[in-house]
Amino acid sequence: MLDDFITGFGMAFRLDTFLMISAGLFGGMLVGALPGFTTLLAMAILLPISFFLDPIVGIPFLLGVYKGGIFGGSIPAILVSMPGTGAAVATSRDGYKLTQQGKSRKALDMALCSSVFGDTVSDTFTMLMIFPIAFLVMQFGPPELFAVLLLSLVIIAATSGKNPLKALVMMLLGLWLSFIGTDPIGGVDRFTFGVFELRSGIPLLPMLIGVFAIPEIANVVMRSDKVQKLASVMGERLTFVEFRRCFRTICRSTAIGTGIGVIPGLGQVVAAMMGYSAAKNASDHPETFGEGELEGIAAAEAANNAVNGPTMVPLLTLGIPGDNVTAILLGAFVAQGLRPGPQLFEEQGATVFAILVAMVIANLLFLIIGYLSIPFFARLVQIKTSVLVPLVLMFAFAGTFVFRSDGFDLIMLVAFGVFGLIARAAKFDVMPMVMGFILGSPLEYAFGQTLSMGNGATWEFLFSERMGAVTVLLAIPVIGIMLWRRLSKLPAGSH
Amino acid sequence: MFTSILKKVALAGGLVVSALGTAAWAEYPEKPITMVIPFGPGGSHDLNARVITSIIPTYLEQAMIVRLTPGAGGQTGTQEVANAAADGYTLLFTHNYVDMLQQYVTDVPYDPLTDFVPIARVNYAPIGVVVRADSPYETFDDLIAAADADPGSIRMSHSGNWGALFVPAAQIMLARDISFNLVPYQGGGPAMQALLSGDADVTMGFPSTLSGQIDAGEIRVLATAGTDRMFDDVPTFAEVGVEGDVGFMHRVLVAPAGTPDEAVAKLTGAFAELIEDTTFTRMMGRLNESIELLDGPTYQALREEQAVAYKELVDQLTGQ
Repeated sequence: MLDDFITGFGMAFRLDTFLMISAGLFGGMLVGALPGFTTLLAMAILLPISFFLDPIVGIPFLLGVYKGGIFGGSIPAILVSMPGTGAAVATSRDGYKLTQQGKSRKALDMALCSSVFGDTVSDTFTMLMIFPIAFLVMQFGPPELFAVLLLSLVIIAATSGKNPLKALVMMLLGLWLSFIGTDPIGGVDRFTFGVFELRSGIPLLPMLIGVFAIPEIANVVMRSDKVQKLASVMGERLTFVEFRRCFRTICRSTAIGTGIGVIPGLGQVVAAMMGYSAAKNASDHPETFGEGELEGIAAAEAANNAVNGPTMVPLLTLGIPGDNVTAILLGAFVAQGLRPGPQLFEEQGATVFAILVAMVIANLLFLIIGYLSIPFFARLVQIKTSVLVPLVLMFAFAGTFVFRSDGFDLIMLVAFGVFGLIARAAKFDVMPMVMGFILGSPLEYAFGQTLSMGNGATWEFLFSERMGAVTVLLAIPVIGIMLWRRLSKLPAGSH
Repeated sequence: MFTSILKKVALAGGLVVSALGTAAWAEYPEKPITMVIPFGPGGSHDLNARVITSIIPTYLEQAMIVRLTPGAGGQTGTQEVANAAADGYTLLFTHNYVDMLQQYVTDVPYDPLTDFVPIARVNYAPIGVVVRADSPYETFDDLIAAADADPGSIRMSHSGNWGALFVPAAQIMLARDISFNLVPYQGGGPAMQALLSGDADVTMGFPSTLSGQIDAGEIRVLATAGTDRMFDDVPTFAEVGVEGDVGFMHRVLVAPAGTPDEAVAKLTGAFAELIEDTTFTRMMGRLNESIELLDGPTYQALREEQAVAYKELVDQLTGQ
């Protein structure tokens, strides 16, 4: 095993590997920055290139696209409040506020540094602990996933916004919206009112752009008399002191993200929100979160990137892809003649380690590529408002349309935009709604699976066989502590 | 605009060998062809399509672009192609369960038999019934006996209702008059993981996903689809009393009905040349996928049989 590691370490240090990783990172970052283009799609399109490359070149290339793409998604989230994926939602909150304050470069730098840190630590941890992680992964079935998702939702509702009751209302709305469409278990249409387009459910992208970006654009347009700008300066770079200040948060988020990565089916969205919530909860100044707090960006970005390492484990140790990204990587593996499966480590141990080492190399390369590219992206905010606003609006509509070329999505975009404006006027935070919507589907699926597994005897099944019930019970003290800490921190009379 | 950038990336990657300069001919195909896949990225259709579309341009002298259009269990992409112009530039790469079975489960806004014509059945994947290596069920009959003794006690993980694992499981249940507790998972990978972790007692899988687990000694195959043995010591479905076209997932390319004969002939010819291409056969071999080309008319006959069999299956299962 140690021999394999050393051989693999040597295998990864190749000039063509470095170059292809860099190409992947840069391409992924550009694609990720364009709303409507998902990293997943970029990987699927670029997959055949890896067929014709050496395994130690082709697979790291795809990993580069993946890592670059995740960071790329944070760029429009920070600059124009347009998160293209659920994972960037938590980042957009403080990121856009910082952009408005003229600190977009700082915000992007923080996103980059915390992403790279979270990713590197989680990849290294994965490399060292791959078999213990593989064992842990197998302990999570649908009942456990259901319990963890439920716990996540409650934590999000309890910690977001100033009014937990309003947050809860919005979350329930989000959950309801997630139920629209074909029932994932039984295949029955629900709340579709006979509209065919609604059968596949409400699409996420128009919702994200609608509720986050459209109100910001409207805000700028409506207040043009006050010379309100999106922003005008990109400001200074991140200083080491600022990074040092957030280091505790980055470490906490990395740990949270890595832990969430172990649980199959949770993913980056949950990690980013949990990292953010935990940082806010632990902070001496939670009121600054959501108002342009660098620590908020650090918390979300470190956590969503830390998911990456452990999600590779089921693929590498069992040959089973846990999500779409690893499914594409599985394709790259098999097309290379590497058959992922329990025997992969015995047969190809060095190659597997080389790929893991390449993941770490990709992170370090990304620190350089990202650092050099950020000034170009940050310059976007220097465009005159009269040009930038139509440009952002165009990207909002074009990005929504290009995702699956469906005019129905544009109607959804406008509807969610209007909803976002109303919610803002009524002082309802849209974040819990979006989280409820994103997590609603996996929650419902896990619940349906649990019901199926119990074969009608759900409660007996949960309490006699599974950890699920235990996790639900654990949730109560966790929430109690969080609420107590939160309420005791609020100044007297504010609630 | 951005799609064209991505296409250029694909071109630059050496994917498309075809000379775009020849596109000036007024002969089909004079522009790139879109292959719609009604599923998400990373699945077996996506993989097969990536291999096909990276090689077939040599024979079509045009690019073939994959467009993934998942949603509503495959209906979104299928409807898109049903509504597309029948000019040979929009094709659907689907499989028999979405193609022919879904119409009996839900209201679909198209008629599979009259709105589509098959172009080529590229290959098919025969399914195998598997248990963990430490399972008490040594043979298929052990499994049936256990399910018979306590109906619903055997948990079978599958990849989603009316999907490629669910349908054969239902067909086995009907053929042998037993009942499994069918638990859905989001794809074949998670269904296999459920088997390995002990959440499920039995599952199914295709050769490409099974072989690694078999070699590692993690799972045992109890029966495989068809009449020819895939493994010397494992019985076929026919031998264990499950007859007919059960457990085959046919990957098929269809076009909207009314597509010009010239286009159909060109595509049919390109596929006939494709399966002789050594790069193609090598890539498909690595993916553990067979190459079993059937032309449109031959597969159409199979579709008509499927229509009858699936209708009967759905009627019996839903008790109509």
